[in-house]
Amino acid sequence: MRIVAPVSRVAEIEPLAQAGASEFYCGLVPPDWLGRFHAINANRRPSGNLTRYEDLARAIDIAHAHEATVSLVLNAQHYSAAQIGAAEDIAGRFAALGGDALIVSDLGLLHALALRFPALRMHVSSVATCRNAGAARLCRELGAQRLILPRDVTLAEAASIAAEVPDIEIEAFVLNDGCIFEEGACHTIHLPGQLGGPICLDRFEYRYRRRDGGAVSPRLAARLQQNDAEYERWLWYRFSCGFSTTPEGLPYGPCGLCAVPVLRRGRVAAIKIAGREAPTARKLASVRMVRSVLERVRAGEDDAAVRAFAVGLRPSESHCATGYMCYYPEVLRVEGR
Amino acid sequence: MNAPELAVAACHALDLAWTAAATAERAEHWQRLHGDAELATWLAPLQPTHLYFGSEFCEHLLPSARALREALSQAKSAGLRLVLLTPVASPEVLAQLDVLLPTLPAGSEVVVNDWGVAHELASRFGDLRPVAGRVLCRMTKDPRIDAGWAGRCGHGLAAPTMHALFSRLGIRRLEIDVPLFADEEVFADLPLPAAVHLPYVYVAKGRMCRAGSLSVTGTERFAVGRRCQKECLRFSALASRPGRADVAASVQLGNTFFSRHSAAMASSLRQAVDSKRVARLVVPGAPL
Repeated sequence: MRIVAPVSRVAEIEPLAQAGASEFYCGLVPPDWLGRFHAINANRRPSGNLTRYEDLARAIDIAHAHEATVSLVLNAQHYSAAQIGAAEDIAGRFAALGGDALIVSDLGLLHALALRFPALRMHVSSVATCRNAGAARLCRELGAQRLILPRDVTLAEAASIAAEVPDIEIEAFVLNDGCIFEEGACHTIHLPGQLGGPICLDRFEYRYRRRDGGAVSPRLAARLQQNDAEYERWLWYRFSCGFSTTPEGLPYGPCGLCAVPVLRRGRVAAIKIAGREAPTARKLASVRMVRSVLERVRAGEDDAAVRAFAVGLRPSESHCATGYMCYYPEVLRVEGR
Repeated sequence: MNAPELAVAACHALDLAWTAAATAERAEHWQRLHGDAELATWLAPLQPTHLYFGSEFCEHLLPSARALREALSQAKSAGLRLVLLTPVASPEVLAQLDVLLPTLPAGSEVVVNDWGVAHELASRFGDLRPVAGRVLCRMTKDPRIDAGWAGRCGHGLAAPTMHALFSRLGIRRLEIDVPLFADEEVFADLPLPAAVHLPYVYVAKGRMCRAGSLSVTGTERFAVGRRCQKECLRFSALASRPGRADVAASVQLGNTFFSRHSAAMASSLRQAVDSKRVARLVVPGAPL
């Protein structure tokens, strides 16, 4: 099981590799992309990208020196016909630099890239929203070697996909950066904060109504109000406990550390740390946390011991007990039996 | 292309008698459903041709085999062709579709919002016709943005790579929303005949459902894929941003966020229909 870590600066690779990451992923927005397409991103994230091919070359060299790999992200929600050509050019430059894999969200583009650059591995981005065996089979037929599952899967689903389609590697989220809507089914823009930010964090007020035109009963209104309050609490957890860390810099959730043993038994090949845009310190702390858990799993510790260790890392017993900080809260159910 | 076909969308049994009624009665029906006299008057002359049954957005609203059989019978009685709507699919949804798809008559359309469902149809159900749904036909539709963002609101459907993928999967029609900043050329660049949804745009969908968590307690409240009480069939929420000048009204229905067409979008759609660039219109058969 490999640890996949995000990078946005060349200088991050060496310390993250030393901390235990064996794969890196990064984005690149070439200088001419903005001028050509009036879009600030060539992938899903508007920031946290490299901007120069020279930096990409250095990133690849440093990673390879540590026996690690570099994947380049081409995972915008969609690419126009003109952008497809430009994305292929980026992929070509990446291949020439000795890059290892492309992470692609547009399955049509992925197939074209797989045919054109057979030396590169093709990883299907979580933004493609492929979360069943049929989709995994299609990805394999189109030339993908790996499917990165979206956040919105259960442990049982991840394992069933891995079992049904064994000739494609499965990667699953393990730490940081939640989404509310399914990333690949959210057709919005992460607006600047002064315009509202991501739609799931914008301050919408809800006014409930019955669809048959009747009045919402006081009892239902009270239940909805309670549900909204609980949702706000869940939202705080979903976004890393208000985007906070421990005093030592360890990030809160979303977190799947307790699920690593189950993911490993389910033949998940790689676990992903999210957050290309995060500070280096958070990335480093994240890799150390995941590595320390994975070492115990590899050493054969049982699930309860691994969980006790993971919960004690921050420590975060009270947060963990809510289940709201978990990528895979069913872990708590399984262990409660 | 003549007048567009007209589909009525539902995820449960509806009274369809009105579909064969006189124009004035249909106008009343649309007015009652969507509260827009202009829209009602525009739609009324079109006799419904299709019943869209199922859900584009939620795995829990996929019909049972019995409900689908009844809907097929009801559609046939009303002279409508049934189109099965399918959502982004978990492994369980694929298993359910294994039961549902064989019950559809040969030649039936299935709206797919999941590449795995499309692959299953292409490889195992060759007598059915897959249609690319709105989740697959991505287009930026954030209702909070103004025209200054119009350049970010395109789609990738005209790209040759997407066309090749559609061809590989036997997809010959697609479903789409009205772009936020549509002009007179809207839908002119689509590679396949298009069904256009109105009067709402689908903005974002989750697998987690806020309303569907109303009756869930404990650590798995708001977790993905958990069983709900189908609260979305009973109520929705008007969503507004105090202090902001958003043009469109937004609605959260179950796990999905919608925004209502602005007057400009409605006008662009009518122009596109007049220019025969829209093969089919799809309208919810119940108020959101």
